[in-house]
Amino acid sequence: MTVRPETPTLCWGPITRTDLVRYAGASGDFNPIHHDVPFARAAGMPDVMAQGMYSAGLVASALERWFGQSCLLSYRVRFRAPVWPGDRLVARCDELEELEGGRAKVKVTFSRGDDELVLAATASLRLSEEVPS
Amino acid sequence: MTGSDERIIGEWRFRVEAGKIAEFARALGADLKDPTIAPPTFTVVAAADFVERLVTDILKVDRKRTLHGEQSYEYIAPIRAGMTLACKARILSDQMKSGRQGGRMRVVTVAIDYSDAASGAVLLRETMTTIEKET
Repeated sequence: MTVRPETPTLCWGPITRTDLVRYAGASGDFNPIHHDVPFARAAGMPDVMAQGMYSAGLVASALERWFGQSCLLSYRVRFRAPVWPGDRLVARCDELEELEGGRAKVKVTFSRGDDELVLAATASLRLSEEVPS
Repeated sequence: MTGSDERIIGEWRFRVEAGKIAEFARALGADLKDPTIAPPTFTVVAAADFVERLVTDILKVDRKRTLHGEQSYEYIAPIRAGMTLACKARILSDQMKSGRQGGRMRVVTVAIDYSDAASGAVLLRETMTTIEKET
């Protein structure tokens, strides 16, 4: 028997440059556009831009909080808009379609504030037999 | 996708360390129930040196005009601390396309397969799409 878990809205931020530098070190992505303000400005940006994979990682962590560790069978993200220092980010599970065999398909939106989409994700996953703690 | 246009562009090995998993999880504020299992996007760490080489030497894109469009994963079995990953990258497509606002852009999709070097079993398949806008 699978249990349909609660999927409360999860929030991060305001994102700091320190968050981005910590993620750069952890991930090994040292593209200067993510930590070097003069480089980012020369590229026409207002500030350093968050790594897309930082957002993808936050949304993946949201999925594991909602559905349990190692729940994912597949995960796909489309990057829609850049994330900047100071942004507050919100992950919402918008759709959950239960499938045969204790599986589900979900759609997640990741937004700046309440309504500006920065990333759209879809995933297929195993629903846990227990509620994740 | 299979076919003669598939090009292997990189093969390397990566040792999965528990401390690196913990550092990566901390950077995302993730609390891992089992800290020996890598988080879903952890392969970004295994691919970082390759992606740097991909951008600067293989594709030779201009970073100031380049965006990450999409990323996708197929999970087959968990990646665990102590494993050595055998990683193999290939180009799935490299095309010029017209953007919605009329400009031209180069769209490149690269796939990386990650296997357990000890058993040969594929653990994870990843694709990434990079977009370079024309000047």
